[in-house]
Amino acid sequence: MKAPLFSLRPGLALAALLALTTTSSLAAATLTQQMDPQEAGVGDEVTITLKVEGGDIKTKDTATGIFGMNMAGPDITLPQVEGLRWNPNYQFQTISINGKASATVTFTVTPLHTGDFTVPAFDVPLQEGAALQTKAMKLHVVAGTTSPPATVPMPVPINPPSPIQNLPGFNPNGPVVMPPNTPPAPGAADSTSNGTVEVPTESDGRPAKVFVVITPKTTDAYVGESVPMMIDFYIRLDVIAQQDSLPTIKGSDFMMNSLSVHPQENDLMILNEAFHRERWVTAIAAPKSGDFPMQMERDTYWNKPNTTNNNDPFGNFFNRPNLVHELVPSNELTFHVHALPADGRPANFSGAIGHLKVTGAAQPTSVAVGEPVTLHFTVAGEGNFDYVKCPTLADDPAWKTYVPASKTNYQDESHTAGFKIFEQAVIPQKNGTLPLPQASFSYFDPANKQYVTTPINLPAVTVTGTAAAVPPASPGGDADATAAAAKATDFLSNRLNIGSLTASLAPVYRQPWFWVVQGVVVVLLLLGMLFLFFRSRTSPDNDLAERAQRQQTLEQEEDAMGEAVRLGDARAFFLAARHAVQLQLGAQWKLQPEAITLGEIRQRDPQLAETLESLFTQADEVIYSGQARKDLDLAQWQLHVRRDLLQPQPA
Amino acid sequence: MNFLHRSVIFFTVAVFLFPFLLHADSSDSQLEAANRAYTYGSYDESAQLFRQIIADRGYSASLCFNLANAEARAGHPGLAILNYERARYLAPADKDIDHNLQLARKQAGLEPNTYRWWQVALRSIDWTVWLSIMAAGSLLIFLAMIGTACAPTLATATNISVRALKITFRATIFIGIPVCLFLGFIELSTLGFNNRIEGVIIAPKEATLRISPFESSDSTGTIPEGELVTVEARYNDYLRIEARDHHFGWVQEKELAPITGSFDVKPAN
Repeated sequence: MKAPLFSLRPGLALAALLALTTTSSLAAATLTQQMDPQEAGVGDEVTITLKVEGGDIKTKDTATGIFGMNMAGPDITLPQVEGLRWNPNYQFQTISINGKASATVTFTVTPLHTGDFTVPAFDVPLQEGAALQTKAMKLHVVAGTTSPPATVPMPVPINPPSPIQNLPGFNPNGPVVMPPNTPPAPGAADSTSNGTVEVPTESDGRPAKVFVVITPKTTDAYVGESVPMMIDFYIRLDVIAQQDSLPTIKGSDFMMNSLSVHPQENDLMILNEAFHRERWVTAIAAPKSGDFPMQMERDTYWNKPNTTNNNDPFGNFFNRPNLVHELVPSNELTFHVHALPADGRPANFSGAIGHLKVTGAAQPTSVAVGEPVTLHFTVAGEGNFDYVKCPTLADDPAWKTYVPASKTNYQDESHTAGFKIFEQAVIPQKNGTLPLPQASFSYFDPANKQYVTTPINLPAVTVTGTAAAVPPASPGGDADATAAAAKATDFLSNRLNIGSLTASLAPVYRQPWFWVVQGVVVVLLLLGMLFLFFRSRTSPDNDLAERAQRQQTLEQEEDAMGEAVRLGDARAFFLAARHAVQLQLGAQWKLQPEAITLGEIRQRDPQLAETLESLFTQADEVIYSGQARKDLDLAQWQLHVRRDLLQPQPA
Repeated sequence: MNFLHRSVIFFTVAVFLFPFLLHADSSDSQLEAANRAYTYGSYDESAQLFRQIIADRGYSASLCFNLANAEARAGHPGLAILNYERARYLAPADKDIDHNLQLARKQAGLEPNTYRWWQVALRSIDWTVWLSIMAAGSLLIFLAMIGTACAPTLATATNISVRALKITFRATIFIGIPVCLFLGFIELSTLGFNNRIEGVIIAPKEATLRISPFESSDSTGTIPEGELVTVEARYNDYLRIEARDHHFGWVQEKELAPITGSFDVKPAN
């Protein structure tokens, strides 16, 4: 027995919105907007963030194509600007903190060519009924890219947390079989033909504990066409489970893009049961034509219902979770894969299938002969971008063409919408106003079931100079000029000697001995520091203590000199003065103060001895006689001692 | 007697020189054969012979240059640019190598990548020169440290004041340490020490850049043959690279060749 799937999400969203509306009406709503960056390169993603505080953005139900379920999205109509492409994915968040509601919505827009663009003002309707208006935003777009390097998912890529709430191109009524030429094969096992997918149920009528549902955009495709597909894994919240694997395709009839390890996750109600859902969005393609069954499965690690004997009295006592691995299959669909028509296939068709547009440009448009002109082609739309190759250029002897480089920017998670940029160098072989080679791009349009070849308009290029680039002839200089021109346009010839040889090109820093050598140098420095450190520890610096002690004594002697001058005590003055000078000189000459005699001074510094002789003589006279001359001016002596004798002497 | 004496000397010298003459003849014949094949337009054969010489005897700027010329003439722009890059790695200031490299890049439709003057200056001086200066500086600092501790003794021995000695030693230490660190930085810069290895796309025409390192992964673009990329991580036989336009992606290892050594990079998590 199976029952249709329902969701309580719209109801829950409505309740949440009512609550927010009640609180947000308490204050006037304000709108802030931000465009980041304001200068971008062609193909870069520019983020536009709108934040409403004190209010809530009006929402509308957006069909997701999953069982007819709807999700709440912002009811904002974005203005269309030529040259800018709004990306279908967006982030929408509403929060309420302490009764204050705020909503943030983030859109991304991609410039398709260079120039200055203005995103005009547009309305942001509020849930309360009014609307806020944004201001016009200006964007300057330059060639190339200005964005920081995009990171590529590592082997275990992490899916961006923003949920894809709106998946354009998915039929809201579920996958629809649209055979282009022939009706579906009778009896085809197509569970989607009525537009809904039924939930597998258990014997008691409740939905199955674990199941997988696949929802492709279509089950009718061409060989090589990328078909977006959603893979939903449901598991009841009351089931103990731990998943460590990804869904895989049963069989080998289809190729699938790699899945992100971390899918979008959310909880929802199905038949009054709470389920946890994991969703991957990918794309599949069939390599050959025919009708093929399509089914996926996931190695699921979950707690199976207990099948132990109920009569066992200890069965429940020792009952433990019966965690087992089980391959849970998805619903099975039948894909009708058509071969691409052979009739009308363009010669330059590379296998691109989808709805694609191509533009082209050339830079610079004025060069010299032999200088490259870069052609920029942008193929945008929906399709299998792996097969989108650079537009072909017609053979033109006036131009030499080179292998193009390309860059693909995907704009949806299934990697079927986006744009691919090609850059190709061409070099003019002659001068004049040269039209660039005719460029065209071919693809197969599955909607119209026909090949499309789009010519690309490229500007003419003004080419100056001459092909040979030979300078004007001058007498006797012809040979040199010709040789110089030939050198500039040809490879220089081989060397006739081998030169110095090296065994390996491996960087030397990858050799252990290199770091040993570096280490020796560093160790040398460290050893020196250690030596100083341990020396300072084992023989503490007596100099410092001595210096402090000497300074203190010196200050004491100076004080004593001052006191002696005040009291007129010549003996005390000369005692203190001589001792101060001995301290000073003893420190300089690394001698004990007592060892500083006039004889010692005369031996070391005769000039200084002359200066000090009067002081030492006067001091000896006063000290030994006990009397001083009456005419001694102690204040003058003090000044002389302080200024001339106690200043540090040159070493 | 005189004749006999001269004969003995001649014989002795000839015996000692004979092995060297044999060796010179062998090496020249290899090089001459490779150059002859190049001259006669047998570029693939010439390239093969140059590769053999490199395998036998090692790399040199001249051998890489000649091999690159042969690859360029043989119509292998990726291998030509790879070997010109190797030659430039070995002789950064060689203008002939840069000329041919830029010409090969131009013929492959690639932007020029001539070194700037400071890059030439930095790469032209061998790292051992920087190391030698740094080692000498470190030794000087070490001696200055010892000298600081033994300044009084040295002052007595040299009749220079302790103060002057200490000032000299301290100045040596405080100036020398940052100078040595700077020299070490230059030395490592000269070696291109950044844990990333440059490689050249050698896949014919172009290499496919993928989002993740799996065959089934989506492509994010292509890089033309001969383009220079930087390898920064590995996962099995895929390498995560950064292109010149800062475009990241994974390419198969066989589509790339390292300019120096091997792609011995950290495994991706």
